[in-house]
Amino acid sequence: MIELVDVVKHFGDVRAVDGISLTVPKGQFFCVLGPNAAGKTTTIKILVGLIRPNQGLARVAGFDVQQQPLEARRRLAYVPDFPFLYDKLTPWEFLRFTGQLFLMDDDHIRRAAADLIPRFQLEEWLHKPIESLSHGTRQRVAITSALLHDPEVFVIDEPMVGLDPHHARVVKDTLRERAQRGMTVFLSTHQTSVAEEMADRVGIIHRGRLVAVGTPAELHAKAGTDGALERAFLSITEGERQQTAPVA
Amino acid sequence: MSRFPSPLALLIRVNALSSWRRLLALRHESRLLVGVIAAFLSGYLVLSFLLFDLGLRFIGRFPGLGSLLVERLLFLLFAFLFILLLLSNLVIAYTNLFRNRETAFLLTAPVPVESVVRWKLIESSLLASWAFLFLIAPLLAAYGISNNVAWHFYPVTFVFVGIFLVIPGVAGAAGAVTLARHLDRKAFQLTALCAVVGFILLVAWRFRPEPVADEQLEARMQAVIDRLLVNTRFAQSPVLPSYWLSAAVQNWAEGALPVAGFFALVLLSNALLLSRLAALFLGRPFYSAASSVQSRSSVFAEWAWFRRLEDRRRSMALLLRDSFLAESAPSEGSQPPQPLARWTPTDHLDRLLQMLRLPPDARAIVAKDIRVFWRDTTQWGQSVLLFGLLTVYIINLRHFTRQLDSQFWISLVSFLNLGACALNVATITTRFVFPQFSLEGRRVWLVGLAPLGLARAVRIKFWLATLAALVLTVSLTILSGNLLRLEWPRVVFFAGATTVMTFTLNAIAVGLGVLYPNFRETNPSKIVSGFGGTFCLVLSFLYILTSVVVLGVGSPWGWRDNESHPGRAALAWAVFVLFSVLAGAVPLRMGLRKAATTEL
Repeated sequence: MIELVDVVKHFGDVRAVDGISLTVPKGQFFCVLGPNAAGKTTTIKILVGLIRPNQGLARVAGFDVQQQPLEARRRLAYVPDFPFLYDKLTPWEFLRFTGQLFLMDDDHIRRAAADLIPRFQLEEWLHKPIESLSHGTRQRVAITSALLHDPEVFVIDEPMVGLDPHHARVVKDTLRERAQRGMTVFLSTHQTSVAEEMADRVGIIHRGRLVAVGTPAELHAKAGTDGALERAFLSITEGERQQTAPVA
Repeated sequence: MSRFPSPLALLIRVNALSSWRRLLALRHESRLLVGVIAAFLSGYLVLSFLLFDLGLRFIGRFPGLGSLLVERLLFLLFAFLFILLLLSNLVIAYTNLFRNRETAFLLTAPVPVESVVRWKLIESSLLASWAFLFLIAPLLAAYGISNNVAWHFYPVTFVFVGIFLVIPGVAGAAGAVTLARHLDRKAFQLTALCAVVGFILLVAWRFRPEPVADEQLEARMQAVIDRLLVNTRFAQSPVLPSYWLSAAVQNWAEGALPVAGFFALVLLSNALLLSRLAALFLGRPFYSAASSVQSRSSVFAEWAWFRRLEDRRRSMALLLRDSFLAESAPSEGSQPPQPLARWTPTDHLDRLLQMLRLPPDARAIVAKDIRVFWRDTTQWGQSVLLFGLLTVYIINLRHFTRQLDSQFWISLVSFLNLGACALNVATITTRFVFPQFSLEGRRVWLVGLAPLGLARAVRIKFWLATLAALVLTVSLTILSGNLLRLEWPRVVFFAGATTVMTFTLNAIAVGLGVLYPNFRETNPSKIVSGFGGTFCLVLSFLYILTSVVVLGVGSPWGWRDNESHPGRAALAWAVFVLFSVLAGAVPLRMGLRKAATTEL
């Protein structure tokens, strides 16, 4: 469902993404972990078609993101860490707008929204201007609008930022549930606990390379650790750091 | 036909709804302030209409050449406005296409990239052109009335202008895409600076007035007019879209409808062709450019010679830094430079600010604001253009000095210079200083929670903006005084007035910027186009008008004689200073009070 084939991206003389190849099958919940500036967001930007790779290709639901962008985007939903919303619209108007962009008719939008709005507890905010909403509520509006067209692939960057524990739980449950129904989730986070709890498979990106990929148990086995996934993550990234450190 | 609205229609609808709600939000603003703005805008329209009407009638009465001069004046005006529209569209389209969150959002939605470009082109053209419409509406009304045109001239002219605006809109967007695709920020800054300087030099050279002695003036009037017509002939080049517009408007006014129709069709066909080309072919380059803008470190870095130069520069900087640290080590056996020093080399700006011995927190804010301003090409590019044009005007003043032997003209030009200089400052303070506080955006807590506090940060912004503006305004005032060969008391008089006005205008912009913040918007031109920005501009203009009139009425040198009027001058200065303090201190103090009590 998601396929990255030998993706390379340079920023000048910096290799931000260095030959990442990865396949995430349909219905899998995939978490990508990595230190700051590891190349996670650049990988996501390539996957959703915001930037063009220097080499390699990205496919979403079988469609090349660069060659067949509209086909790929119709099956995709992307929620960045600071999502864009029209401040002067209400959440309902925004939901309707995004639904229409995905060629949903009003009945379809209403039916899809009827399930999501109570789940994300947006009823009381639905007809208030978005500019008056808190960061967490805006995040919930963005996630709701992204799920509205029932995407095949859902890409989300740091989904828990600004959410209270209750709504973080709602987001996790909804994504898990959708994944069980066949939606592929690609989630980027710094929180190893989220990856540990949610992911079927975890990828660790470090210095632009996918240095480890597997189930949490497989990562522990690779790192020779046990317990929290954080240990495996630290062990793998530290090992990589030492291997790639320049000789003094 | 699809039962779904097109993405472009959806985008237009959503953005129109947002704009309408922004307009409705004015109901929550003070009625007095809204009334002041409305009165000012109406006053501007009426006053400029009267001035244009007076000017056109005056030029039209010129024996034998009146209609020719009016015709040339219109061609020239539209040609200049076309060039300014091109630049304005270029800058706004660049920001709108490549530094806009809505664009990034749309690029991940199933919206064809061509529709994104079309929408952004429409939005940029509207943002870049409304001021043009505001400027030419009274001119065209005055032109129509002075030519006793039929009623249909006005709606038809409106349509012609609408078609015309498409051309600089598309050209500006295409230019922005091309520049973004091939140039990074540094290269773009360099290119923009060279283009602006080149444009100013070209204008200065092309329109340099040649000195004409008084005794020759009458006899050579014909020659002077000839030269004027020759120098401005470029405005009648048939390849210029402004020529097609002027020709269509003028021929319609004269009743030559077939000729007007011909030029209107030339305009329309070009506008349609360009729009079609943009719709068909701008999508792909735009996507490449958007990807490049987010991916590139430096265009120059693609050249080996530049990389070598940069490496040498970096090594030199580190060497200097190391030697500096070694020299400033406290005792013998001092430690070699720590790695941290290698990672944090100071640059020229840091060194300069250290020399000024500012407190560290003030230095941090000043350095941050200067860096942000310098790295935002659209910000300084427009300031350079504005002050560049003013410089061209002032440099050309030297050619008038021989004609300026009467007291009246010397006084008039001096006070007009003061007004022009202050209007430039007002444009710049409104456009760049007013949005400074809003541009702190969601990071405002960073400054607000720091020990220096928001109020002090605002005060630092005020001083930085004022001192930077003073360097320019006082220099230009002294330069214009010298070129007009004014005696030094006059130069001091105008330099003093400019100084006071610069302080006040910056105080108005900083104060109102804090009182009417917009932390959600990242585009300064959109922040300025809100209620607070408009109010700032109106207040600044009213202040300038009142100040120039007060100083002019109380001019110590009189208008028609050489007698001095020290009493009247002292009174005028007292009123001017008092008014300036009041006009600047009230909004600044209110802004500082609000900054001190802002809940983060």
